[in-house]
Amino acid sequence: MLRKLIFLSWVLLLPLAGQAEVKPESLPPTVVLPAEPNPHWVWVNDIVFHHMVDGKAYLVDGDSGRFLGMLSTGMGFVGLVLPSDYAQIYSPETYFSRGTRGKRTDVITFYDPQTLMPSGEVVIPPKRFAAMPTNNYSVLTDDDRFLIIYNFTPAQSVSIVDVQERRFIAETETAGCSLALPSGERSFMMLCGNGGLMTVSLNDKGEVTDKQRIKPFFDPQNDPVTEKAVRWGNTWIFVSFDGYVYPVDVSGGQPVPGKRWSLFTESERKAGWKPGGIQHLAVHESSNSLYALVHQGGKDTHKDPGQDVWVYDLKAQQQVRKIKLDKLSTSIQISKDDAPLMFSIFIGNPTLDIYDAVRGDLLRSVDEIGFTPTIMQTP
Amino acid sequence: MKWLDRFSERSARSVARQSSRRGFIARVGTMILGGAAIPLLPVARASNNRPDAPAESGDPRSCDYWRYCAIDGFLCDCCGGTYNSCPPGTTVSPITWIGTCTNPVDGKDYIISYNDCCGKSSCGRCLCNRNEGDKPVYQPPLSNDINWCAGSSVDTPYNCSTAVVLGLAVAES
Repeated sequence: MLRKLIFLSWVLLLPLAGQAEVKPESLPPTVVLPAEPNPHWVWVNDIVFHHMVDGKAYLVDGDSGRFLGMLSTGMGFVGLVLPSDYAQIYSPETYFSRGTRGKRTDVITFYDPQTLMPSGEVVIPPKRFAAMPTNNYSVLTDDDRFLIIYNFTPAQSVSIVDVQERRFIAETETAGCSLALPSGERSFMMLCGNGGLMTVSLNDKGEVTDKQRIKPFFDPQNDPVTEKAVRWGNTWIFVSFDGYVYPVDVSGGQPVPGKRWSLFTESERKAGWKPGGIQHLAVHESSNSLYALVHQGGKDTHKDPGQDVWVYDLKAQQQVRKIKLDKLSTSIQISKDDAPLMFSIFIGNPTLDIYDAVRGDLLRSVDEIGFTPTIMQTP
Repeated sequence: MKWLDRFSERSARSVARQSSRRGFIARVGTMILGGAAIPLLPVARASNNRPDAPAESGDPRSCDYWRYCAIDGFLCDCCGGTYNSCPPGTTVSPITWIGTCTNPVDGKDYIISYNDCCGKSSCGRCLCNRNEGDKPVYQPPLSNDINWCAGSSVDTPYNCSTAVVLGLAVAES
């Protein structure tokens, strides 16, 4: 008993002894991010396929490889939507009142990009498209005023949100047409099952004023374009399963399909080169470069990972260089600055690899970036 | 908005039927439905009028199993269900995507409906992704990237996927 008392008195005295020598730290403060984003930051979105109720988005600094913070983004998460001024982060999210059961509520959550705290939300119809992510399910109009959210119940429609006034405007039906691709300050396009497009025009209140259907510009049965189109200035770049590029010019209001060109020479095509992945295309605007993740494979390999990125001059429509990746990849993204980084990640092995996008050198790898990372965005 | 849903659902399905390379499959699916009360779904299950079960070989817990040629998800056979039934406590999604798979036993092509089982979190076992005939999400009836639990009574929580034979994929004459 006596020995126990002696031991107890020592234990009780220990904190006091420590206090005499080291000034205790205050409660940990919460880090606040800088107001200006580093162009070498990247947001990695994660559907968390094995626990889909718990979607996430992670922010990583490409220069240091440092994990800067994250967002919790709900069930069946697709991806964030970043306005060009990065003044807010928009996140289309789905929640059920009992986790995986109960009443479904869909919201656009607004996050403060410095604190990563929610700063508000807009409730939208509980119909947001649940699918393998691409960047073309929820998009902003070109002036960043209206957010367009593609719905599928399986009835097809879009919801329109005024992000400036933080208000749901309307839902409009879009039978036969999917995705949302901005085509101007007051318009967006949708890709239709027949290989055509639908253009939707808005007024300054975000109300739909017109819908036009554009005739098919590719063969959706024999060589469909992927849903993972990317924007180059006023041109949308669609790429087909077999590696043909279908540009669509939106500078004049209505989309105008351009002349098809090929990512591959005939000998490369014979050797089985194909585009593939979840986010298999990326554009670097100021150098007019298209980055395409490619692999060698047979029919139906349009979602296979690749270990090669081929870079194209979009003006000359020619391949300019090849980058051999260190690891298999399903998603690539390029930073927007003039010394661009290329980010690469594989849904089956969540290590973010960061490359010099011009030289193709692997600069650093950041491991443990989520569970099933899908698409990436750069500010 | 219920009227809007019904309207656009019908139109979407109509467009999907007409624009699909395997439009004939959709039409077969519609025919199989026969006297069903709502003969609208190109990929709806035909519960009363299915042909005899095909001869089987292979392991339904393996991704290589013949019916899984266009599946994308967790195999229900590993999750408390079977290749054509849902695990306890889950709810089947009546609408889904379809594939056409060759049965190695008889060499015939069968139309497979990949009905998702819904209402619980992901099963997490036997993840399998094969993409034979898979098309982008703007061709919904042929796309395995879509969470088809969206069409179930319990909404999008996805548990696992089944592979149900709808019939023989007879060639277009």
